[in-house]
Amino acid sequence: MVDPSTAWDTWLQVVWTFLRLSLFSLGGGNTLLAEYHHLSVERFGWITSSQFADLYALAEAAPGPSSMIVGLLGLGAGWDHGLAWGLLCGVSAEVAVLLPSTVVMVTAALSWNRLKDAPIRTAFERGLGPITLGILFHVGLTVLRTADHSVVAYLVSAVVCALMLFTRISPLYFMAVAGVLGAIGVIPS
Amino acid sequence: MAAELEHEPLAAAPGRKGLFLGMLQVALSSFGGGMSAWSQRIVVEQRRWMSNESFITGLTVARLFPGPNQINMAVYIGAQFRAFAGAVAAVGGILLVPFSLLMLIGVVYFQFHTAPAVDRVLTGVVAAAAGMALSMGFKILHVYWRDPLALGLAALTFVVLEFKGIGLIPVVLVLGPIAMALYWPRQQRHG
Repeated sequence: MVDPSTAWDTWLQVVWTFLRLSLFSLGGGNTLLAEYHHLSVERFGWITSSQFADLYALAEAAPGPSSMIVGLLGLGAGWDHGLAWGLLCGVSAEVAVLLPSTVVMVTAALSWNRLKDAPIRTAFERGLGPITLGILFHVGLTVLRTADHSVVAYLVSAVVCALMLFTRISPLYFMAVAGVLGAIGVIPS
Repeated sequence: MAAELEHEPLAAAPGRKGLFLGMLQVALSSFGGGMSAWSQRIVVEQRRWMSNESFITGLTVARLFPGPNQINMAVYIGAQFRAFAGAVAAVGGILLVPFSLLMLIGVVYFQFHTAPAVDRVLTGVVAAAAGMALSMGFKILHVYWRDPLALGLAALTFVVLEFKGIGLIPVVLVLGPIAMALYWPRQQRHG
């Protein structure tokens, strides 16, 4: 039986981590992925690097917003303390990451039209775009380094990246095909 | 046809329960993807809660502010009618089924991921997902292609994160305001 005091510590760690990151999820939330990896694998050791890659893929493949990966990270953090703690940490993580951004978004939804001509609105709209762009390239490389451990895997990622950019095929097909390639042993793990 | 629809009066403002059920319908309809198209169809065309114009404004605001786009859109819709309580009801509706399903998938994963067959399949799926992550930056690159200042800021952000090992929060807190100052609209001079 795991010491409950450490389970509470984990829960607090999870809630605080996602609460403070919430307002930094620019560009639709994907900008936080590299930070999630850093914190959950390197800083807190909730999960391993390869588990992180797996959870990211599951969140992308499952229906619904892929930002729900936060729930899976919480689940992984609490898992060592048992199923109930895992689920509690999973739900808490999701609530924590959504709460601050929801409060801000409610304020924005109710006041944005009044700010129509304010210079801060223009500066905000145009200034944060380039920052988001820089973060997204960092996130892309971080996920790539985490996920791929062979030349074949890098090749699969590059092909999927190109297909994402130049076709409108649903990414679910790419994941299905790559899953089959993995199953028959084409991609060394 | 579409023009005629625009002039039809909107429905009565939904309550918290209505918002929850409406967003639940959006979530269930969009299991194969295309959530914002489904939410437009259901919220604007079927339930007639808001005009198409205010829906589009919502999409812009949702993309601009921190938080996942699809969830921010639910917040926007809920907040229009019942402020914070409406936002919570709408987010609950949109997340309930997919989040429960994802938690179930997660539990199965942590139970069985050490099985070699599962591991091999995931190696492939993970490589594909990494390709998707890599495409995110390239996808919006064209927007900034003719703007050297934007490319410079993006490059600086990338280099600081990638090579200096500084966390995301300090980087955004320092570079965000600098970028906003650089893009602050200049005073219009008259006469």
